[in-house]
Amino acid sequence: MSRVSLKSLTWIFLRVGNLTFGGGDPTMAALQSELVGSRRWLSPEQYALIYALARITPGTNVAAFSAAAAWRILGWVAAVLAVLAMTVPSSIFVILLTRGYQVSSSNTLASAAIGGMLAATIGMMATGAWQLLEPRMREGDRLRAGVLFAASLIASLRFSMSPILVLGLAALVGLIWRGPAEK
Amino acid sequence: MNLLLLYLLLLKATATSFSGLTSLPVVRHDLIETRHMLTDRQLNAAVAAGRTAPGPNGLYIVSVGYFIAGIPGAIAGCFAVMTPAFLIIPILHYLGRRADRPAVKSAIQAVMLAAAGLVISATVPLAKDALTGTLAIAIALGSFLFLVLTRKDTLWVIVGSAIAGLAGKLL
Repeated sequence: MSRVSLKSLTWIFLRVGNLTFGGGDPTMAALQSELVGSRRWLSPEQYALIYALARITPGTNVAAFSAAAAWRILGWVAAVLAVLAMTVPSSIFVILLTRGYQVSSSNTLASAAIGGMLAATIGMMATGAWQLLEPRMREGDRLRAGVLFAASLIASLRFSMSPILVLGLAALVGLIWRGPAEK
Repeated sequence: MNLLLLYLLLLKATATSFSGLTSLPVVRHDLIETRHMLTDRQLNAAVAAGRTAPGPNGLYIVSVGYFIAGIPGAIAGCFAVMTPAFLIIPILHYLGRRADRPAVKSAIQAVMLAAAGLVISATVPLAKDALTGTLAIAIALGSFLFLVLTRKDTLWVIVGSAIAGLAGKLL
């Protein structure tokens, strides 16, 4: 685990928030990989709680996610800086695009580079799912892990159930069906 | 245009929605139908700008603010996106203290597992869009394996994938 400072933490939000294309889900997956995977400033359990709460907080999920993750790691100042780092540079980009977005989408080299980055976000998101499943599998919670993972995937993908409802139902199931360590 | 009113109108949209583009109906109703401050065409351009730019799709609100009142309007939009985010901290504070109880712990674990399913579910439509050929599939697989096996920074994946995309175009 590397040491955490306000500067290094804000830098992660600045970098990930403004270099990840494709919206909130890929951005949260990339942040998970940084904060939980490589640096271990958040445990997988803390990440899960923050991820779920970000879903039920009104507004942009990834902004709430950043506020909560930075607050958990370093407090209020970090939370404000994380939200600013996450939104301000991208907002400038949005303004520039609003002024002339036709120009950038017709540039073939720029769109080839963006295409490569979009493909990488798929890998990042798969990594995010893997990092949520892996600790439960390792602790012998395979059946519960498999059932909850598959049920939420099907409910969301096949039946378009809202993420908030899926997470709420999962929390209820978790209250009743305990894992091996929590009995 | 009164900037405070614009901020409050945009805040109404962001604070009553639960993810990026679900605020769209409120924006349409308030700014296009009721107040005629924006056109449908501008709203479409705003959504496209929000989707093309890095970061959350919800930032299309910034573009909406820009169409209505220029740079000050864009700043009002940016504030409207940021404000609701801080609501999460008191909730986390309250729940975080109770996170060690077995029942709460078990519920959090279940939420984690369900979140994994949701992440994959969100990946599927994106993958249909992004995995357009062998190169894109190779980049996606390569970045997955790189991140799982090395636990290194995502920066390398971003830079590497952009270079790979460019190389695929040029070679």
